[in-house]
Amino acid sequence: MSNTHIRWAVLVLGALGVVSVLVLHWMVFFWVPTESTMGIIQRIFYIHVPAWWAAFLGFGIVALCGAVYLWLGDDRLDRAALAAAEGGMVFCTVGLLTGPLWGKVAWGAWWVWEPRLTLALLLWFIYLGYFLVRNSTVNPEQGKRLAAVVGIIGVLDIPLIHVSVTWLRSLHPEPVVLTQGGFAMDLDRMMLATFGVGLLASTLVFFSLFLARYTIEGFEREARLRNANLITADGVEG
Amino acid sequence: MTGYLGLVWTIARKDLLVEMRTRERLSAMAAFAVLVPVLFNFAIDTGQVRPQVIAAGLIWMTIIFSALLGLGRTFQMEHKDSALAGIIQSPIPLDALFLGKVTANFVLLMIIVTLVFIVFGLFFGLRFTGGSLTLAGVVTLGVLGLVSMTTLLSAIAARSTMGESLLPVLVFPLVVPVIIYGATATDRLLAGRPVAEVSGNLRMLAAFALVFLVAGAVLFPFVIEE
Repeated sequence: MSNTHIRWAVLVLGALGVVSVLVLHWMVFFWVPTESTMGIIQRIFYIHVPAWWAAFLGFGIVALCGAVYLWLGDDRLDRAALAAAEGGMVFCTVGLLTGPLWGKVAWGAWWVWEPRLTLALLLWFIYLGYFLVRNSTVNPEQGKRLAAVVGIIGVLDIPLIHVSVTWLRSLHPEPVVLTQGGFAMDLDRMMLATFGVGLLASTLVFFSLFLARYTIEGFEREARLRNANLITADGVEG
Repeated sequence: MTGYLGLVWTIARKDLLVEMRTRERLSAMAAFAVLVPVLFNFAIDTGQVRPQVIAAGLIWMTIIFSALLGLGRTFQMEHKDSALAGIIQSPIPLDALFLGKVTANFVLLMIIVTLVFIVFGLFFGLRFTGGSLTLAGVVTLGVLGLVSMTTLLSAIAARSTMGESLLPVLVFPLVVPVIIYGATATDRLLAGRPVAEVSGNLRMLAAFALVFLVAGAVLFPFVIEE
């Protein structure tokens, strides 16, 4: 894909993303029926769960692109990993902020040491470590490799963290849409539709951010390279 | 010993020899391991909380802090005179270098862990009765996982300008499974619960150690390359 193609893709995905976010909020506030047991607070679910979907999607891309980057050394893969990490971090933060809002009403406390909540917080810190490593090396090429390693380690560890914190204790509402018995068919159709729009919105926004960041990082690296060339070729050009 | 294991042992032996002659890391870690329970004793109101109840958690926190203190310097000692560059250029494969470093760090931390248990037992009157063999298994597997992960991450920290201050940020979130399975198993064994109750913990600690031993050996060359 050339840069013009990507720019169009960013625009189209971004526009669709914004529209679906607006539609989602209209559905959440005015359209979807109120859940009977949890009441009005349950509506945050349509924003909270899709945010987590995008956060985990981001981390998956980080690890995948990181692993292939270590293998092939193609700079584009590292740009993709960086873009996915930043997008994932945004949605991870959204998930971490909306969770306690719901928890305050449903559990009566802002923070509970519940497995999924704990995993979410740890995921946020793994992302943080990823950025710290990336930005704290003298040689940027080395920073890319180290960050890729941290991303891979993080993804290897997430299932182990998940199993361990779940084993320790569980209070979080169990998955309702995709349950262990397969896809829940008895869920209210309007709720399911709102949830679907939520997933669509977060996916669209994620990928438009991802592509935009990917392109910008490409320009930045090109600019740095040109600057470096100008400096070394100063005697000739100036 | 010859072959691959011989190479691993060469690196481990070199690190342990350097440690035996300088005692830089060992003395700091040992002093730390004795001082932490002293501070815990003052920080906790022992009239309110019986130390025996929370000892397992404190023991594992002390182990992890000691590991950060000592293992964070794994690659510092070879920083001088570009000694590490020399080792990298030697015909030893980089994954053997990693496993050698892990072996030396493991021996080092196990010495400290033994000290931690003795000191905690002494200060807080813990009794290591039945299941002490299982407890040794829990600690060995937990420490192996902790060391594998920390050795790789300390190589990363050594490469970054943040240095050792980066290490806790990287290690703490990732080491949660070791803390959970290690501390709960230790707690149960100290309370005299049957050994069968911790077999799940042992399996998970073994899985953690295996995953990060292999992942470390595979990923280490990408970290250490200039």
